[in-house]
Formats: sequence, C-alpha cells, structure tokens
Amino acid sequence: MKPAAFDYVVPRTVPEAVAALGDTGRKVQVLAGGQSLILEMHLQRIRPELVVDINRIAGLDRLSVDGDTLRVGALVRHGVFESARAVPGPLGTLFARAVVNIAHPPIRSRGTMVGSFAWAHPASEWCAIGTALDADIEVQGPAGRRVVAARDWFHGPYRTARRPEELITAVRFPLLGDDTGVGFIEHRRTHFCFAQVAVAAALTVRDGVICEARIGLVNCADRPLRARAAEQALIGKELGPPVDGYRPPEDHPFAHAGRIAAARDAAPLAEPYADVEYKRQAIAVLVGRTLCQAANDQRSRAAQLKGDQQ
Amino acid sequence: MKITLTVNGAAYPLDVEPRRILADVLREDCGLTGTHLGCEHGICGACTVLVDGEAVRACLMFAVQCDGSSVRTVEGLAAPDGEPHPLQRAFSAEHALQCGFCTPGFLMVAAGALEADPNIGDDPERVDGLVGSNICRCTGYEPIRRAILRAAREQQGDRDGVNR
Amino acid sequence: MEQWTRREDRRLLTGRGRFVADIAVPGCLDAVFVRSRVGHGTLREVDCAAARAVPGVVGAWSAADLAELPAVPYTLLARLSTEEAVAGREWPALVKDRVRYAGEALAVVLGEDRYRAEDGAAEVSCQVDPLPAMVKPSAAVDDSVRLFDGLSNIAFQGEAGKPVEESVWREAAAVVEGRYRQQLLMPTPMECRTILAVPEGDRLTVWSGHQMPHRLRRELAALLGWSEDRVRVVVPDTGGAFGSKSAAFPEFVVVAFLAVKLGRPVRWIEDRLESMLVATRGRGQDQRVRLAADAEGRLLGYELKIDADVGAYPHLGAGLPMQTAWLATGPYTTPQVHATVRSVLTNTMMTYPYRGAGRPEATIALERAMDVMARQLRLDPAELRRRNFIPPESFPYRTPTGRCYDSGNYVAALDLALETLGYDKWRAEQARRRTDPAALPLGIGLSCYVERSGGEAGGLHEFGSVEVGEDGTITARCGAAPSGQGHETVFAALVARTLGVAEERVRLVEGDTDEQPEGLGSFASRSAQVVGALLQHVARRLVDEARERAARLWELPVDEVAWSNGLVHAAESGSAAIEVAELVKVTGPLRVADRFESGMAFPFGSHAVVAEVDPELGTVRLLRVVTVDDCGVVLNPVLVRGQAFGSAVQGIGQALYEGMTYDEDGVPMLASGLLDYLLPTFTEVPPIEVKDTCTPSPSTPLGAKGAGESGCIGTPAAIVNAVADALRIADPDLLQMPLTPDVVWRAARAPKLQEVR
Repeated sequence: MKPAAFDYVVPRTVPEAVAALGDTGRKVQVLAGGQSLILEMHLQRIRPELVVDINRIAGLDRLSVDGDTLRVGALVRHGVFESARAVPGPLGTLFARAVVNIAHPPIRSRGTMVGSFAWAHPASEWCAIGTALDADIEVQGPAGRRVVAARDWFHGPYRTARRPEELITAVRFPLLGDDTGVGFIEHRRTHFCFAQVAVAAALTVRDGVICEARIGLVNCADRPLRARAAEQALIGKELGPPVDGYRPPEDHPFAHAGRIAAARDAAPLAEPYADVEYKRQAIAVLVGRTLCQAANDQRSRAAQLKGDQQ
Repeated sequence: MKITLTVNGAAYPLDVEPRRILADVLREDCGLTGTHLGCEHGICGACTVLVDGEAVRACLMFAVQCDGSSVRTVEGLAAPDGEPHPLQRAFSAEHALQCGFCTPGFLMVAAGALEADPNIGDDPERVDGLVGSNICRCTGYEPIRRAILRAAREQQGDRDGVNR
Repeated sequence: MEQWTRREDRRLLTGRGRFVADIAVPGCLDAVFVRSRVGHGTLREVDCAAARAVPGVVGAWSAADLAELPAVPYTLLARLSTEEAVAGREWPALVKDRVRYAGEALAVVLGEDRYRAEDGAAEVSCQVDPLPAMVKPSAAVDDSVRLFDGLSNIAFQGEAGKPVEESVWREAAAVVEGRYRQQLLMPTPMECRTILAVPEGDRLTVWSGHQMPHRLRRELAALLGWSEDRVRVVVPDTGGAFGSKSAAFPEFVVVAFLAVKLGRPVRWIEDRLESMLVATRGRGQDQRVRLAADAEGRLLGYELKIDADVGAYPHLGAGLPMQTAWLATGPYTTPQVHATVRSVLTNTMMTYPYRGAGRPEATIALERAMDVMARQLRLDPAELRRRNFIPPESFPYRTPTGRCYDSGNYVAALDLALETLGYDKWRAEQARRRTDPAALPLGIGLSCYVERSGGEAGGLHEFGSVEVGEDGTITARCGAAPSGQGHETVFAALVARTLGVAEERVRLVEGDTDEQPEGLGSFASRSAQVVGALLQHVARRLVDEARERAARLWELPVDEVAWSNGLVHAAESGSAAIEVAELVKVTGPLRVADRFESGMAFPFGSHAVVAEVDPELGTVRLLRVVTVDDCGVVLNPVLVRGQAFGSAVQGIGQALYEGMTYDEDGVPMLASGLLDYLLPTFTEVPPIEVKDTCTPSPSTPLGAKGAGESGCIGTPAAIVNAVADALRIADPDLLQMPLTPDVVWRAARAPKLQEVR
C-alpha cells in the first residue's frame, strides 16, 4: 500500500503552481489537504508522476466575507467550519451541521473544502451544498482567472470542469439571509463511511410562506445535485406548524417534496447495501426530514429576530 | 530530498524520498516505532501524531510536507523526567487498552485536543468526537472515553487547585 | 508498579511496546506478494523478469522458479481438518496452475524495503484465464464446477446427535422453521499478520504476532525438513488476534523458505488491503433449522443443517463447523437434537476460527428459532427459555449432541439480565409506542447461550515451569502467547498468590520456544482455565519441592516443614526457617516444570437488547445492551470485564455492520478497505451493561472457565431478535445479518404477524 514514486514541487505562489501544473506531459496531482489523494495513492488507484504541494502558498488559507459573498481559499481546512460562527448567518449553521459528517477531527484538520470541489466525489457534502446554493469556483490558469458556476462544474464522479493546467484558488458562496432556515441530515451505515444519502436544505420564508427553497442531494447521482423539481413544489406553500414526531406525515408538503426529489430529481446508482430502490426511499425520507429541520431552524431564527426587535 | 523534522523536540536532518509517508519516516528513519500503521489509508488512526500541535494521520501526510514542522509522537508524551502524561495514567487506570496497538493513536488524538482546549472535559460531546476518530478492536471504546475524560478532569482539577 | 493497572501498560502507553514490525534487523528484506485479481482461474503465465530489474529489488519468484517450495501445512488440531479432507487437495504457497481464491499469491518480490518491493511487484505480469467463481456454498455444492478436478467440492461431512424421530415433528403442538445466513466476517485485529525470519548459523529465529508459537515452530521445521530445535519462534507484543493468528499461512511458508534459501533476514508485514483479501474469515454458514415444542412450550426436537463455506482449501477450517454442531443443543433440555454439517469448498479465502469460532453460529440459529417459537406459542420469550433450561442440579449434563456440560445456572443468568435491563419497564414502553404513531417502534431481544472453552480433547493441556533464582526472583514460564489479554499481569499475580509472595517478585516469560520448550498456546479461551491451572499446579509443586529440600537439610519429616510467604520453616518449633532464595543458594537451582491437563468448560450467559427501529430508513439504534456472562471463577475482574465489553462490541459488528459482497470475478468488494468493511466505531457503541454470575467449573482446579468470546456469541441473536420484535414481521427470515438499513427497511415493509393470521 505504499505510494509509487513521484516528483515533488513546492510552489510559493499561485503563478508558480500554475506553471508547475503546465507540465501536462505527465500525470500531475495537486496536493492540498491530501486526505483523499494520499488515501487513493495508498490504494494504488492514483499514481501521479508529479505532485504539486500548494500548502506553502501564502494567502490561500484565507476565509473572507466580501459583501454578501463568502470566499473560501484553497487551503481552508474542513475543521474551520465546525464552529457555526466561522461563517456569518444561516450559512455558518449549515456548514457546521454538514462538516461533522466529514470523517473526523484528524482528517478535518488537514482536508480542505476546496479539495472536495477538486476531487468531486459524488458523496461529498460540500459539493452538494455548493450546487444547491449556486457557489462559484475560482480557477487560475496560464491565461488568467476564470469563474465556473457549480452547476457547470461537476461532470461526473471525480470529473470536473478544471483543466489540467488550472489551480482552484477558492470557492465562493452567497451568504444566506436571516429569513432562511437550514438543515443537513446524513444517512450512512456507520460513522466511518461515506453517506449512502445526505441532504442539505435552505428554506427562505416570508410572511409564513416559503418563497425560496434550495435542496442539495449528496450521493443521489453520479454527481452532486440540486433537487429543482422538489424545490418548485415548495414555493408558495405555508410553512405551517412544527411536525410532531420523527417524520412529516404523508400528506405534508415536505413529504411530498421528498417523493418528488426521489422520483424526478435524483438518479441514484446502486452500491453494496443500497440498491436503487432503497436509495430512492432514503432520498424521499431524508429530504422530508431535512426540510423539517430547516423549517425548525427558520422558526427559531424568526423567533429570535422577533425577540431581538422587542 | 533533504528535510529537517523536529520530533519530540529533537531535530532530525533527513534525506527522504517524497513518497515516504510521515509514519514510515518516523518509524524507520527516526527509529520511533511507537507510531503504528494499522490501515495505511487514514481510517483506523493508529498512526495519529501531532504536527504543529494538531492531530493528523501520519499515513496521510508525506514526510516532506513536514519539513520544518514540529512533530510529536507517543514517545514524547511523558515529561522529560519520565513522569507519565495524565492520559497515559488514565488509560491504564481505566483499562483503556488491551493489545495496545491502537493506543498511541488514541493518546495523540486526545493529547492534541487536551492541549488545545484544557476544558474539553466539560464538553463530553467533543470527547465523543475524539474517541470516534479512531478504531480499536479490543476495548469497545467506552474505557477510552472514560480515560480521556478522567485525564481532562484531572488536569482541570490540578489547574484549579493551583489557581486557588 | 501501582500506577499501572497492568504490567503491559507502561511500555504500550509510552511507545515502547515491541511488535514484529518494530524490530529492526540489519539487512532485512521486505516481502511483497503479487496476488490474483480473480477468485477462480487457470494460471497461464507469471513473468517476474521486469520486477528483478527494479532498483532495490533483490529477487522475484513465482512457483515455477521455486520448485522446492513446500506446500502449506494443514492442521488436525481440534479436528479443524482431517486427512481425508486434504487428500488430493494440495495448497501451494504460491499458485502453481490454478487460482482458487481472490488474492491467492502468484509471486513474491523481495526488496530492500517495502516501497521497493512494491515497485517490483507492480512490474510482475501475470495471466490468469478466469473460471466461474463460486463464493457461496449454494453455488458450489452441486459440483457443477469443481475446485479440484475429480474431487467433490464437499470436503467434509459430519453430524452430531441422532436424527429427530419423524413422530416428533408430526405430533408437536408447534413446529417452526428458519433459514439463517451467518455471514463471513473478518477478524480484523488492528495489527495484521506479521512474520520476520532471521537465519542464524544453522538455526532460524522467527518473530511473529502469533497465538501458537510451538505449533508454528513445528510446522515450519517440518516444511524445512529440520528438527524442531533448529527453529525458535518468538512472539513479541501482538496487536490482537481473535483466533486468526494461529496457523502457518502461505506467506509464512514463503518467507521462512526464502530466508533460509538466501541466508538473509526476510519479513512480511501484511498490509490492510492484503488482510482484507486474504486474512482468514470467520463464520460463513447457511443454516436451516427446525424446532418442535408441545403446547406448554416444552422443546421436543431441534434440527440444524449447516452448509458451511470453508474457503478454497480444506486445510484450516473444514471441520470448524462441527463446533456449531456439537453445541446445537444450547442451554435447553431438548431430548432430541440433530445437527449435520457439509463443508463446501468455495472460491473464497479460508474460514478459520474468529472469536466465538462456531459457537456464535450455534447460538444465533437456536436463539432466533426460540423467539419464533415463542411468538408461535404466544409465550413470553423469557418464559419459553425458562421452561426449557437445563436445571442447575442436572450437571454434569450430557447433551444429545455429544457435549458434557460441566456446570451451569442458566436461569440465574437470565433473571439477572432481565432485572438489569428492566424487562417489564421496556415491555410497557414497547406497548406505549405501539399506540403512538409519532414514536419509533421498539423491540426487546434475548439470547441465552452456552459455549465451550479450553479446547478439544487432546488439546486441553499446557506446559510450564516456575523457578526461583538466588536473588529471590521467581520466573514463571508457559506455552501461552497473548495478544492483549494481560497474561503478564494476571499470571504473575496468580503465581504470587499461590506462593504467598509479593507480586513484584514474579515475572512471566511466554511466547518464546527457546525459553519454554513445549507449549500449545492461546486459543479457545483457554488461558485462564488451562494455563492458569497449570501455573497454580507448578507453583504448588515448587512449594513441595522446597519443603522436601528443607526437610532433608534439617533432617525433619517433610510434613513437619511448612511454606508460608516464600519462607520455608519447621512447622512445630519455628526454630528452623529459611528464605527460599537462601534455600536455592544452599541446595542449588530450584525449578519445577510440568504438564497439566484440565477438562473442557462450558461458560454461559444471557444477553438482552433493546433496539429502536426507524422503519422508513431501516436504521437500528440500540438503546440498551445487557450482557450477563458466567465464566466461573474470575482471576482478574477488570480484565474479564474488558473482554466482555469488547467482545459485545464485536458481536454488534456482526449483527449490524460487518459483511462482504463479491463481484462477478469472486473478488470481495472491499477496494476501499475499512471504508467498505465497516467495523463498529465509538459512535455505534450503545450503552452496554456488563454483569456476571459465578458458577465454578469442576473441570479445572481454579474453577475458571474461558472468558472473552461471550459477546460475539451472545449479543448478535439478541440484537436480531430485538429488531424482529420491533417490526413484528411474519417472516423473520427476512432479517439476515448484517442488518443493514436496506435489509431492515425491506423487512419493515413485509407483512406483519397479525396480517397473516
């Protein structure tokens, strides 16, 4: 399980890194957190000839807010997001709910959010959140910088719009307003495996009516998905009272949205211990429950806002 | 590639292939075999060490990445005079080890967290997260959880005692 | 000393433990194996030429290059295999012409280190023409494709008990049937297998994380054609074993052979991916059961039919399923019990003992059937068991399946389990939830077991010695080899207690065939029961020897010389007294060595589980687990408790998480290692309450029975029964382990009990 030999460079600037990546005659890999890359190298599924270690590029570890946009630099580690206060507003809550599902503390102290966008594993929590929230991916190439929308970024398992000579420098998210509630629920067999299914949800409510819904689906297709049909079905629905018990009733709009997400939005692939039929079931259930969680979050935010105003 | 690792306070000037993982370099080049390899793909956590104070999988880092960094292993846990670390005493007291193969990894995960936040004993959920970071096949984990809490509370108690 | 609970702790907690991979031997070569990527096929070609040209590679060989390479030995110990089973079925250490399991070694590469050896292995090219891979007994049992030309895939057949009379089935008030799959499991010790072979002069020193160093010495010496005294096996610290580290594996054969051939140290440190492919598996049975009872719930007859997948070669575990057959009776007075075994060769790695080794399979089959019977008779499952327990006054009890249980109080264990759980309280909660649509359903499961510890006839003895030095230190030696059980602590304490001396004076030496010339090892939960008895026996003999010497010295009758606390003295006057160390100085070395044999013992217990099921997702959450185990007299409660807790968690692993699927080529779908084979992590561990009762064993002087396998044996059936109870499904056979969410969700959708009636 030892990695095969490779050449190793440590650029100090983004242009140096891009120059190193320009060596397209060889199999090149960018090393950021390395928590997927080195794992795959142990499993002998990736054998790069050149590894470009970007960990010593100054400034890539910046997490910043500019207006309504959060910018996550390429070296911001997962662990940063464990605190809901790392990012303002409901987005911070969503990240904090999601990040605890990414492996465990020693992995989260190395692995990076941007690395997840580069790796594009279908079970990545960040990638589905980015897709649902219309994140933008900043990449730097020899010809300069370009920005790719998340919906155009993912081309399939481990396949993205990044060209070999490009470096991802950051991912940008729109911040969420105080009228938005968020939820994230992951379903997996044990703490030490990828999600069978996970769902991220953000519900924006005005005057008790859902005016915007964003639902991200994790591991429900060969790439991260946004459940647009399910979202549409929620627009204009009353938020209603909190759900009693562990699930919304069958005729509840959230349960209905879950069934739509499973039947129309998702394109699940079979895997051991989860065939397509089971996955669709899990998607329907998880979407419904995550919406409940997001609705509860929205209610408590609204209540707090009211309290603050009084 | 020439690098210098500082391990448990001692400088190790080394010449290593870039592909050599930190755990192998610690074990073979530095002769510190307390760091064990249990799975070599980042899951089991037996190889966990502290790099610049943070717990990491030593199988998921290349040694060359740690050039200039400070690495701490289980061999550096006890005080220089040999006085055991509170975690070492607590693990024994709670019978938190049987075969002992996974033990260095659990100790280092806990040591990193305990040093970063001496009040972690007040937050059992975070302790649960630490115990949930690694795999043990012998103990069933519960004794490990108790040991970490015991060490954390003992340290807190010591400090509070001094403060009083 | 007192700041460490165990003597082992100091070194293991400070990074000074010494495992095989930690031993630095100058010039040692690392062995890496090139492995088959299909489960079944014909080997056409192996080309190692390119590998030999890789820098740092010292050599690369296929079977064709090593004509004199010996085959893998087989074992008759505990009837794990038989001469008939292995006849005509050679297990080559490197594949000669036919691949029979995925990962079977096709070539070996030796390198200056593991990195270089793997570089070389990547350059070996192999051609294997695939044959149909059969990974289940049902696929192989009809012999349509044979693993060995001209021989049946059924390598072994056996039975325990006599066939149940037809009239029993005909006349019983209730007969229930079931089909249960005991999935293949991976023992997964944290340290994989290890061997380091160092030639020194005309001897070979072998370091290995191993449970049976003397067996390994015997087997390696035999295959090298050497006398046993030329091989020394040393077991340093071992990172867990759970039954899986007691054989001479193909890789061991190759390493020992090449070390001798090259005259250089060679080691093989198995990595996790290799382990997932080719470490021995546990369990692996397809079972059919039939259980009959009268209207009052008295059991009348039980039938268990086992088709076991024993792997591709019958050498290690073809007879292992007999452990299940012999224990088919369980803790009940069922008058007629019959168990039959067919051991079927499949294109999988060998099945071999894994913690529990045949007893979990017996318990799970019977205890699941008991719950089905209770439902059929509308009896409380605890009450059904109570009506059928072998009563405490009936021991020794000879079972219809050929075991003679030494002692037991089964009802006491069940009562304690129910009381600890709060059985009635949970039944009330269950009823409440059934009327509350917002609540998740909840179930309660029981499992009562009896198992066997110590080993089989012919393997119930151990060798050892106790010696007093001139400085007063006492050294105990024995043939055991621990892998985390704390022998250094518990056996030193036992010897000290027997001699009446301070614990610090006693040191234990084990796991070294030069230190202890004969031995059996640590397996079958035998160490406390068999080795403990031996050490007590030898220590007592040492006292007698010291008294005899002093009696000669003082010219007194020996019965007037007493021993107390390391002092030999004249019993009457008290005038003559001598410290034992002084006695050694005066009379010469004092050392007593012996062999001691114990009987089999039969530990037992009752486990109870409360499980909550999410019927929409199929997830199972264990709210409470209670284990009550009886391993007779306990030598060290802290260590036994640790064993009970840890093994319960492994039992949870079998019930809910662990399992493997195979692709079309017969390759386990475990390419992502421990991300695919899911062991319980802390997050999965529920509140577990460990309790015990104590019924001493009359078959061993200490009264101790084996501890440590209880959870693997008792817990799984309790969990499955709890889930079945929560779902109230009509066909409990839908619940096959591991109870993954998809399995439970499907079962939850199936017709309920009352819908069928």
